[in-house]
Amino acid sequence: MRLSIPRFWRKRFDYYSVRISECLDCGRKFYPRRSICPYCRSRNVKVVTSRGVGEVLTYTVSYYRLEGYEEVIPKVIALIKLVEGPVLIGELVDVDISEVREGLKVEAVLRRLKSEDPAGLIYYGIKFRPIVG
Amino acid sequence: MSSNNVYLIASSMVRVGRYFSKSYKDLVVDVVNELFSSVGSIDIDYLIISNVFSDSILEQLDISTILTQELGLTPKPALRVETGESSGLTAITQGYSLIKSGIADTVLVVGVEKCSEFPTPTMNKHFIKFSDYEVESIYGLSVVNEAALLMKIYMRRYGYSREDLSSWSVKMHSNALKNPYAQLRFLISKEQVVRSQVISDPIRLLDMYPVGDGASAVLLSSKEGIVNNEALEVVDIAQATSQPLNLREDLLSLPATKIVFNKLLSRSKLDLNDLVIEVHDSFSILGYLILEELGLVEKGKAPSIIDDLDNVNLSGGLKARGHPIGATGVYQVAEVFKIMTTGLGDIKRDSCWGLIHSMSAVDNNSVGILVRRCSC
Amino acid sequence: MSKGLSVGIVGWGAYIPRYRIKALDIASLWGFDPQLVKSLNIEEKAVANVDEDATTMGWYAARSAIIRAGIDVNEIGAIFVGTESKPYAVKPSATIIADALNLPNKKLASDLEFACRAAGEAIRISLGLVSSGMVKYSLVVGSDTAQANPGDVLELTAASGAAAYVIGPKEGSVAYFEGYYTFISDTPDFWRRDGSPYPLHGEIFTDEPAYFTHIVNAVKGLMREYSFKPEDFDYVVFHQPNGRFPLKVGLELGFTEAKILPGLLNPWIGNTYNAAALIGLARVLEESRPGQRILLATFGSGAGSDAFSLVVTDEVKSKVDKAVKVMDMLRNKVYIDYGRYVKFRKLLVRV
Repeated sequence: MRLSIPRFWRKRFDYYSVRISECLDCGRKFYPRRSICPYCRSRNVKVVTSRGVGEVLTYTVSYYRLEGYEEVIPKVIALIKLVEGPVLIGELVDVDISEVREGLKVEAVLRRLKSEDPAGLIYYGIKFRPIVG
Repeated sequence: MSSNNVYLIASSMVRVGRYFSKSYKDLVVDVVNELFSSVGSIDIDYLIISNVFSDSILEQLDISTILTQELGLTPKPALRVETGESSGLTAITQGYSLIKSGIADTVLVVGVEKCSEFPTPTMNKHFIKFSDYEVESIYGLSVVNEAALLMKIYMRRYGYSREDLSSWSVKMHSNALKNPYAQLRFLISKEQVVRSQVISDPIRLLDMYPVGDGASAVLLSSKEGIVNNEALEVVDIAQATSQPLNLREDLLSLPATKIVFNKLLSRSKLDLNDLVIEVHDSFSILGYLILEELGLVEKGKAPSIIDDLDNVNLSGGLKARGHPIGATGVYQVAEVFKIMTTGLGDIKRDSCWGLIHSMSAVDNNSVGILVRRCSC
Repeated sequence: MSKGLSVGIVGWGAYIPRYRIKALDIASLWGFDPQLVKSLNIEEKAVANVDEDATTMGWYAARSAIIRAGIDVNEIGAIFVGTESKPYAVKPSATIIADALNLPNKKLASDLEFACRAAGEAIRISLGLVSSGMVKYSLVVGSDTAQANPGDVLELTAASGAAAYVIGPKEGSVAYFEGYYTFISDTPDFWRRDGSPYPLHGEIFTDEPAYFTHIVNAVKGLMREYSFKPEDFDYVVFHQPNGRFPLKVGLELGFTEAKILPGLLNPWIGNTYNAAALIGLARVLEESRPGQRILLATFGSGAGSDAFSLVVTDEVKSKVDKAVKVMDMLRNKVYIDYGRYVKFRKLLVRV
């Protein structure tokens, strides 16, 4: 059992949806969720669940071979601006390389991040895919 | 007790490469033996080891003690320093601090990394650890992906083609040809860069550092003249951290590196063109951004000056000298020491000042040191 | 007419993965006669991506169902996931989906297994829970990444997809339940033993003794108990293991082809097992008009069938566009070859 149980479990709500923070002092919103504002160090920060909708600012197609992630090669990685404002780096799925473009509207979806072996734990988390319809 | 000054009095290294028949201990013993054979037997007060993957790859913690034992240096105190890819330069700053504070007079700093013990996908699993695991690495995101995003933004903002950004790698390979310790001692063309294997588009294999093992050592002392060599004075050190890429106002800025350069350059009116400069070019795009942050060239113009650059990364940089992670910063200092004193192979400069920069990931933890030839 | 039920569908959602493989590609690889593909009335099937499973697809469908329902998720008192491709043999998908949707901790949650009709049974359970007042809303998810032994005829149809329904009070529902009838027996037409990666089946034995006998008995039972005639229904949606069975059983029961075809998606997405009839129902809801009556008949091997009678309400129109529609997902497709299919469905051994 190589994947830690508690390390993932305690943060599952951060992995199962896009959670951002809003600083009630300086007004900035940011990802990832933190209890201290990275801009003004205020602790007066609240957690907000993002709608999980955003657009691709730029992207890269990665062929980087990584143990534990071999199944998803090539992998599209994008800089995504959420409608709430914060920017994050996320994986784009269900999109052919020829279809990815800047400005593409995407939504957060729950996917498998990794699993250690057929008998082990599965980590689920958020990736992004083009909005359908 | 010591003076307030810190001197760099000797350095040694092995050529960066894949040492299948040597362990990390063998590499360290080699460089420390070479160092001491060049300066004679000197008593040290402290051993600082820079190493990143000892527990990930070598199944070893407290590696500084193990190496102290191996080197026969017990009972000298020892410690290990780790700040990701900038560990080597951080180790130098820690040695500097020990001497500056009077805790030690002579400090041996050794950087060592074994990156060829496992196949590529396994090593890559360790290389992604420089980013926040809970936020990025768990998704399989790596520094190469971040650098690729930056490269795209840079190309778009300043109107460069993919080929335009190949000049860095070409230059580094050309420089490395003269460095006997460089891993990649062969020339490449822009066309070869553009045609090399895609790692994370637009980054290709020849835009990034090669994987290699390495060990390097430098001797820091409070006394300038204890060996016959010419010495360099470590005039100043600087270190800064920054938020991850996605939280930065301008993605093409390197905020920590900027703070480091501002501090080091503020104390003296230095001519950037007369400095011996080593910077952390793990990916060619980062090389351009660092030069722009340094103020050597205005933003967006770095690729146009590379062909004529003759004082930056004379070693070949991370791109061609290689990047044995925890050892890299120590290599940079060891090389600058030789370039400014006895010569690094045939590479020798008469400059009075040297500037060494290192960072982890894309400017997460950045370090710089400023050195001056004692005779200047 | 109704047995005092006051329960309806409050929201619905479906999920069809983006990738499709042509049935003829599979047939030619394994040497099946193209005529067989034609006789099964199957063009292509939906294939889940490599990082998808019954849990992730079920999550997507459930999210759409909740968005359409427009309810406070804290009022959801139960979640049931009907699947025969659980990512974990032991450990519920229901709890993962529930936490990922921020459902309250105070609720019932279970994965149900009855081949392809576990989600149908979950609807029946929900009728009981809601009508008794034990819960206000129940979330029913049917989701499968159907397994098929490579080279088995089942591989022509075994597909991936999900559907989800929020079952709640009739008041405010998009369609309310008038009646239900379930028919089960011990009929071993299709099974998968513990630890076996693929199911086995009785070929033609799945036909008359299983699919037809159970659906016909359930539907006839429903019509008898509630005095319905085939003409009373505007749409009929059956479990759809292939493109032929639903048409055959529907015509046999006296329904016209026009009432069967809108809910028959198998030819374009394959057999999504627990989601098969339920994606068909979603498609029908998305084109239905208030007042229309829908017959839903599930089937699960082993074997059993649930028949439900539903009446569409005025609420349906306002809900259709609140989440992605079945037709949008049918159109959003990319064809893959058998190689990518093998990669996506992990049919090769990696170490």
